[in-house]
Amino acid sequence: MTFILEIKRSSGLRFRRVLNETPVSVLRLPRGPEPNSRGFDPTSPRFIALCPTTLPSSSSSSGSADEEEQRLRAELRERFLRTLLLMTGKRVRFDMHEHVRVHARFGASDIDVLNLQVCDLETPLGVQREALLRSQDVIACSFEV
Amino acid sequence: MAMRQTPLTCSGHTRPVVDLAFSGITPYGYFLISACKDGKPMLRQGDTGDWIGTFLGHKGAVWGATLNKEATKAATAAADFTAKVWDAVTGDEVLTLAHKHIVKSVNFTQDSNCLLTGGNDKVLRIYDLGKPEAEPQEIAGHTSAIKKALWCNNDQQILSAADDKTIRLWDKNTKEAVKSLSFDASVSSMEYIPDGEVLVITYGRTIAFYKAHSLDLIKTVDAPASIHSASLHPDKDFFVAGGDDFKLYKYDYTTKEEMESYKGHFGPIHCVRFSPDGELYASGSEDGTLRLWQTAVGKTYGLWKCVLPEELSSENSEVLYCPPAEIKA
Repeated sequence: MTFILEIKRSSGLRFRRVLNETPVSVLRLPRGPEPNSRGFDPTSPRFIALCPTTLPSSSSSSGSADEEEQRLRAELRERFLRTLLLMTGKRVRFDMHEHVRVHARFGASDIDVLNLQVCDLETPLGVQREALLRSQDVIACSFEV
Repeated sequence: MAMRQTPLTCSGHTRPVVDLAFSGITPYGYFLISACKDGKPMLRQGDTGDWIGTFLGHKGAVWGATLNKEATKAATAAADFTAKVWDAVTGDEVLTLAHKHIVKSVNFTQDSNCLLTGGNDKVLRIYDLGKPEAEPQEIAGHTSAIKKALWCNNDQQILSAADDKTIRLWDKNTKEAVKSLSFDASVSSMEYIPDGEVLVITYGRTIAFYKAHSLDLIKTVDAPASIHSASLHPDKDFFVAGGDDFKLYKYDYTTKEEMESYKGHFGPIHCVRFSPDGELYASGSEDGTLRLWQTAVGKTYGLWKCVLPEELSSENSEVLYCPPAEIKA
């Protein structure tokens, strides 16, 4: 048996616990988050038991309402993407938060539309040859078709 | 044979974990929600720490998080001036409640129909979740930011702790302060145990226990370091506390003696809570991790497995993972 002596701050000696203690074994480590998903597995027993309406519905009316909404969403998304394509190379006016309004030549957006790449951005400090605008700061864009 | 505690580390957060809460015991076990400065509160299976999902939507640090008893709803309080209510099964955002300042605390009533919020605008608000568009009831009185607000006494009263170094007990209907406690230091945490009506408060190095109805002091215990959070075991035989020195302390509630202390976190501990069955407690730290600790070290529970000496040396041992000796920071 091995002991370690540790001197307590106040007074006296205290034996630390013996070194032949065994750490408790574990079956595995807790599972961490998946990198590309927010989780809430729809195939888990709890999800299936508590959210029956998210399963493909047996009733046709609610099914077709979901399909219609999906179709409309897809259409709006396509329109948005086509607008971005049409905007390329054009001089665009960006209305942003804090009453900021700037003009620039639109280049491209990133895949998640988080940033907009622009050229010749006209700012009160002068014209920026190249710039990135943060999409969440942009309220509206307008341009001549 | 003496067993050494093996904490289970739950990673995933990228910033300090500032609050955590357990649900009640449901047919699917119990669950744990963690509030983090990275703005992404997470839901985990309570007994294993397995990640279930992340509630995405807040645009600032999340300061408070809670689950209802059945773990079907979650609520979060954030620095983006909103409190949000979530479906804890699908992860969908159900409601956003705009506030005028950082929201620090959220708490459901037992029936999950009302949500109490409190934050830096010093006002307690009660939202009827059945009528979310209706204006909340407001209770004003605190002179500084509210840190924690809890329902108590069968949801008829409210306990609130604020940076004005007071804890106040309010009547929900009259909105008047029924009782008040003043301290020399800011209260760092508050926990309410309905069964037995006990209030656990921490301030400075002290863990104090009060009767929730009367705010009469039961006892105080002083720890070796500044304590940020403490939790009383459901059977009221011990309590755990953690704070600035990165350690978890376990005390005998009756004798007030320190039983154990555990190292493991790499930063100050911000929150600690016992699970609803008392078999484990969870701690959240500045180091961005949650750790689960066994109440009865060595017992088979969740991911911990009691391994007898013969099994350890046996070739047929089914234990997959034996933690290496930890290098203590």
